[in-house]
Amino acid sequence: MASTHGIARTNRSRTDEQRQQDLDRIQKYRDLDDQIQLHVKQSNYSDPTLFHLTTKILRLNPEYYTIWNVRRRCLISGSLSKRSAGLWRSKASPSTSRSVTTKPSCAASSPSPSAATRPAPATSPSPKKAGESGTIPDEEEADPCNAGKEEEKDGDDEEADIAADTSLVQSELAFTIPLLIEFPKCYWVWGYRSFFLSLCDAILPAGAARDFWAAELALDSKMLTKDRRNFHAWSYRRFIVSALESTTTKNDGDESAKAKSMTESEFAYTYSMIKVDLSNFSAWHNRSNLALRLLDERGADDAARKKFLDQELELAREGLNVGPEDQSLWYYHQFLMDQITTTVGASSKGVGENGKEAKGLIAPNLSLADRRDFVDREVAEIKDLLEDYADAKLIYEALLEYGIAYRAMGESDADTANQDEMMAWLAKLKELDPLRRGRWDDLEKSLQA
Amino acid sequence: MESLGEEPWDVVICGTGLQQSLLALALSRSKKRILHTDPNYYYGQYEAALTLQEAESFAAKHAGGSSEAEKKRSVVRNAAVWKPDDAEAQGLKFPRAYSLALAPQIIHTKSKLLSSLVSSRAYRQVEFLAVGSFFVYEPAKDGSDPKLSRIPSSREDVFSSQSIPARSKRSLMKFLKFVLDFESDDQKPLWEAHADASLTDFLTAQFKLEDDLKRYVVALTMALDGKASVRSGLAAINRHLTSMGMFGPGFCAVYPKWGGLSEIAQVACRAGAVGGGIYMLDTSATMKPSGENEKASLELPNGITVQADSVISGQETTASVQAISRLIAVVKSPLNSLFQVLVEGAPTPAVAVVALPSTPSPIYAVIHSSDTGECPVGQCVVYLTTLATAGSKHELEQALVMLVYAVEGEDSTSPCLYQLYYEQALGDRQSTTENHGTTPALSFPPLSATIAFEDSDLEAVKTAWSLVSGDESDEDTYLVFEDREGADAEDEVYE
Repeated sequence: MASTHGIARTNRSRTDEQRQQDLDRIQKYRDLDDQIQLHVKQSNYSDPTLFHLTTKILRLNPEYYTIWNVRRRCLISGSLSKRSAGLWRSKASPSTSRSVTTKPSCAASSPSPSAATRPAPATSPSPKKAGESGTIPDEEEADPCNAGKEEEKDGDDEEADIAADTSLVQSELAFTIPLLIEFPKCYWVWGYRSFFLSLCDAILPAGAARDFWAAELALDSKMLTKDRRNFHAWSYRRFIVSALESTTTKNDGDESAKAKSMTESEFAYTYSMIKVDLSNFSAWHNRSNLALRLLDERGADDAARKKFLDQELELAREGLNVGPEDQSLWYYHQFLMDQITTTVGASSKGVGENGKEAKGLIAPNLSLADRRDFVDREVAEIKDLLEDYADAKLIYEALLEYGIAYRAMGESDADTANQDEMMAWLAKLKELDPLRRGRWDDLEKSLQA
Repeated sequence: MESLGEEPWDVVICGTGLQQSLLALALSRSKKRILHTDPNYYYGQYEAALTLQEAESFAAKHAGGSSEAEKKRSVVRNAAVWKPDDAEAQGLKFPRAYSLALAPQIIHTKSKLLSSLVSSRAYRQVEFLAVGSFFVYEPAKDGSDPKLSRIPSSREDVFSSQSIPARSKRSLMKFLKFVLDFESDDQKPLWEAHADASLTDFLTAQFKLEDDLKRYVVALTMALDGKASVRSGLAAINRHLTSMGMFGPGFCAVYPKWGGLSEIAQVACRAGAVGGGIYMLDTSATMKPSGENEKASLELPNGITVQADSVISGQETTASVQAISRLIAVVKSPLNSLFQVLVEGAPTPAVAVVALPSTPSPIYAVIHSSDTGECPVGQCVVYLTTLATAGSKHELEQALVMLVYAVEGEDSTSPCLYQLYYEQALGDRQSTTENHGTTPALSFPPLSATIAFEDSDLEAVKTAWSLVSGDESDEDTYLVFEDREGADAEDEVYE
């Protein structure tokens, strides 16, 4: 439903009645738009009617990005507290926002927002939480943190503002959930949510903000269950994870509680998604992204790194064993092979072969012999696939690619023997993929050179 | 009651089995005057879900066997219930805590039954649960314990499987890919010549599948005789594979909560009642002789006679000799390990299927967790099915003990708190039509007593619908309805 993968577009013919209904809908939409433009022209952002109109039109068409901005301006000029609106104007980003907050220092560790320590509900923070935070001013008298405060009145106001803003954030997040479900690939919906979560970070104590982010991660997982290849959800996931990693966990007011890396759990998540469907570029990509960090965080030594490379190659090969026609699997395999065939000096030079900065390799200290062993074994295993999948074009492409990379590793005396084999693979490619004939011819020339 | 006899009924439907009920659903927007009766005081007939009390009266009613000389046999026979003397002490709860399904068929997500329920909007009243893993029972050998092996049935399953060697995985993948596409012109030449030969031989000859993998594939056909032909076997596996993931990750079939097809029959009857049909349970209608130019008359128990333009019923007897044996057993442990979530985002399955090798025909055990609402938490209901033979009751009881032992790992000679056994004729697979005076009368064949619901059982419903609708019938409107007012309130968030 949400996914368009594998669903053919159909040409629908409409009856006159349906046509009329569509025309009516278009008229209704245009009327809404006209009303909004009128308000905008008059800069009527504080008029609640305008906010209401944006709700209506966005439900019809969330792709209309101008309206999302109108909605934001409505909130800044109206419902949001001056303080939060100010933060917003200065475009608080999740990483810098906390330094902007003017909260009393003890508030961050204050146990008073009782809801914060509770596990967040799976989809969205319940609106009830806002009410609970509203009781904070009463508890505050007993809070030793605030006992000697001079501007107690202002503090109260601020807490009330926070409570009101929190409830607003909740309602805005709740408003976008059905839109997200209906339009899972709409940039503006994802963007609007991320904006509010960042605001949350700026106005709430760390623990409470964290609950919002944790709930968001659960929502993101739901979205990926509905469409496991939704790249919006995958990139949003990285955004949430980095926010969660930079937020300290609130642990009974223990300020020393450190932010926890989620690399291991996210790495495991890519595997569980691959188990659902091997054909998932995003999952494999995320896995390749996480691999280096994972090894650094594990403090892996050269032996452990070599073993890791071995295991990942095995995983990719297990996948290729059942799906050699699947490009996403080859991409991951190519990524791993690239880690092996990349010139040793690359990392010390700081610039890789293709001009990109070499960010480090999975196993940077492999000896040339080790690297040759790896490539030899992979090529042998891939050649073995041909026994059962003689017509899988991607196998030949990979064999040629790895063959060329192998030569480039230098100091080889065996590659001339390989020449006949490479030409045979190329001939097969020409046969299987005649549309790229020019490319294969070109490759042939360079191989013979 | 008097007006019943005066009403000129367009159609009288006798029995609330699945097919009759679906017909009532199909006619529910037709403005036809419909009288729908059932001799039992519950819905569903041979597709009903029974409390233990109802199971007892069902068993008493169908206890009779049939001598070989009898030509016509009743659809259900040799029924019996049993429970240990101290069943209550062992955990058996009150009779209404149970709901034993006489039609526990799983429904593949690709089944036309589901698409009909969706297009007719009846699905809104049914809660569907996921059918999870399919297993093959591996007997103890070389001193190892008996165990259940999960059948890999998707590319990702094969990928994750630890027990299959790499080369065998490729042969299996080759076969699975072939099955997905077996009806295409490219693949047909490979099997058409052997269409009626044995699938097992075909797997050996064409795909060089090893014995283990062959057993997996054959078990997936869910053929009760264990001898699927190439044609029927490929079709069954194709259905299984193409259903996988259709409604979400990790499952290929669903099961209606609270008693399987019984639920669907009830929901369909409810739609019939909302559409204006008159329902009378605990009422058997008997056809009276009618003259050549008269409409058919049916007699109801209280002496009232009704007339109808058409009469639809179900066949109560059958000439078919072949039958299945079914043992429905309430088991005193939940067998939780059968209901694990194996892939990210998959729902917790409520049903698992186990194929147990047996001679002359395999035994299929379908295990329902308490999530189905068929038993209290902490127990499960096991439905065992095999082709009926003289000893099949004993074999099913043995199979139950073997199954529970393989799952629980500890010997339990009496895992069962309650059991209902019966034999059900496989039926003639054809509806019959005859004329009573000017009234055509159609009888549905018994539903296929298979493990998975067979779409072919829906054909007779459509035949009956065309018969009743006559000239007004427009195929495009068959089981395609709008929501009734108010039903879709939930979807109307956006005015």
